Amino acid sequence: MDSVIKATVVFFVLWAIIRVSGRRTLGEMTAFDFVLFLIIGGSTQRAITGQDYSLINALLLVATFVTLDIGLSIVETRWPAMRPILNAQPMILVENGYLLTRRTRRARITEGNILEAARRLHGLERMEQIKFAILESTGAITIVPAVQAGRVEVAVPKEA
Amino acid sequence: MDEFASRQIPVREDMRFQRRSWIVERVGWSLLILLALIGLSGAFGIGPLSWQTASSGPLSVEYERFQRITRLARFTFNISGQTGPELRLHLSDAFQKNFEVSNIQPRPARSTAGRDGLDLTFATDGASAARIVIWAHSRRYGMSDITARLGSEAPLSFWVLVYP
Repeated sequence: MDSVIKATVVFFVLWAIIRVSGRRTLGEMTAFDFVLFLIIGGSTQRAITGQDYSLINALLLVATFVTLDIGLSIVETRWPAMRPILNAQPMILVENGYLLTRRTRRARITEGNILEAARRLHGLERMEQIKFAILESTGAITIVPAVQAGRVEVAVPKEA
Repeated sequence: MDEFASRQIPVREDMRFQRRSWIVERVGWSLLILLALIGLSGAFGIGPLSWQTASSGPLSVEYERFQRITRLARFTFNISGQTGPELRLHLSDAFQKNFEVSNIQPRPARSTAGRDGLDLTFATDGASAARIVIWAHSRRYGMSDITARLGSEAPLSFWVLVYP
């Protein structure tokens, strides 16, 4: 009985902590963030399993976690109003080459993060080459390049 | 366009909700900081708020008022005054039920099942003070009202809160 209760408590506490820690933590993960997540996993793992290393306990825990995860996704699809609460919503960070600084500051994202995503995804070099930069709900930054003379335009199919 | 106005292209935004969720985020951070501070204070065990001493007559006990389940905790019983060749320490029912004793120093000469709890009898060298240390794991969470009694002296009561 207590395995199921423990798993449920840990699931929601972890969910709440990850949710308030902001999107930055998930999408743009640094090597250190990765290590941090391993540590979080290790610290909670013992609290959940305790000294019960039985197969039944492991099965109960896995079943509870997966059930709760499925439950959340069902809630999300059934009740669209819950969607923004359960998952962060996408937000525009760069609009027509202009950095929306008040937004990026609040979302704890630097100009460097956006330019990095622009380089990585589209080989862009400057802010002006970005039409939109969007912080997705997963925490990743996606880039819509501005169509202009140069490398990018070549990639766009043209009507004769 | 105002930075905090909601855009529709290329994604649909709800900036009012976004700004509210930022506030919730900040509240969450302060809760996390608060949690860490409470942890440092010892209210979750191991810290200044947790270390306690209770005494009654010749018997006193140093213990942790806040404990965590399965964690090893120390109960130090100090006995002052003439003790005689033998010394009997009675620990109540609640202690026996909620704690798993892992070590007692010194080893009791006799350990008997009392009327309601545990009776430990120690041999002494007749000195004017003695110390008994009991190491125990808490096995049940919640509040425990423990009573310790030395021989036929007045009982010493103290409580321990065990976190899950």
